[in-house]
Amino acid sequence: MTTPHAPKVTGALPHEPEKATLEGRNKILAFWLFLGGEAVLFGTLFATFLTLRNQVAEGPSASELFSLPMTAAATFILLVSSLTSVFAIQAMHRGNKKSLMGWLSVTVLLGLAFLILEIYEFSVYMIHDDYSMTTSAFSSAFYTLVGFHGAHVLFGILWIGILIGQLLKKGLTVVTAPKIYVSAMYWHFIDVVWVFIFTVVYLLGKAGV
Amino acid sequence: MEDQDKHVDSVIKRRHRQEGPQKHVIAFIFSIVLTLIAFAAVAAGGVNIAFTVVILLVMAVLQVLVQLGYWMHLKDKGHMIPIIFMAGGFFVAGTAIITALYWMWWS
Repeated sequence: MTTPHAPKVTGALPHEPEKATLEGRNKILAFWLFLGGEAVLFGTLFATFLTLRNQVAEGPSASELFSLPMTAAATFILLVSSLTSVFAIQAMHRGNKKSLMGWLSVTVLLGLAFLILEIYEFSVYMIHDDYSMTTSAFSSAFYTLVGFHGAHVLFGILWIGILIGQLLKKGLTVVTAPKIYVSAMYWHFIDVVWVFIFTVVYLLGKAGV
Repeated sequence: MEDQDKHVDSVIKRRHRQEGPQKHVIAFIFSIVLTLIAFAAVAAGGVNIAFTVVILLVMAVLQVLVQLGYWMHLKDKGHMIPIIFMAGGFFVAGTAIITALYWMWWS
């Protein structure tokens, strides 16, 4: 067991500070189990969506609704943010706190841009296309699946934002490093889920399958 | 014990894991290309619909492998248990999807 308080770091940090303590390694391992559970959660939402996606009732269908440029923009933003969180971890491995905080900030800003775009997209659907949560089984499944992913993005933004504050206050130590590493894993997983969303929801919907 | 662990770890990692950004930029460009192919396949339209679906699914699986393997380091040594956790998650998720589709289409 390690002490609950941050040890004073006197010398250089180890190359991978997130794995320097048993607590850090356990945290990462446990987070993989959590991500496995998240895969199941999203899997069931995808299952629901796939069964209901053609039940459009009086409302618009997927191919009438979606716009490829908007989805492509969202995809690009999230993919770039995944790359910047890789850069953040590399900066952490170099022990460069300033660069780490910079890349984390860029990641948060890109996440925010994604979220704003999604809110705009939903508002267009609701106001312009008269497509709300209660329009059809397809719309309920769509808002639940994509909204759940959006909520994960929001949570990631808040989480990484708080971690930037903690870095400012406590510095980069063997205690803060695992938290940052785990948040980067979470952020990559959000992009993994988005790959399936843009493929299954938007592209297959637009293709009219 | 802990100190020893820490020392061994840092020595091993320093030797093997000094990686630059190039590898990740390549993974990023690869992901962009996969995404473009997927979007182009749909934007072009007209092509055989089953063929489009296969292209889309292949591009998605490849991109997810890049994310999990390179950016989340699952391809690195010592990730057996994380791979089991993730594979277990995807297995249950896949079972749920296949079961739901089976109920809808064939029963």
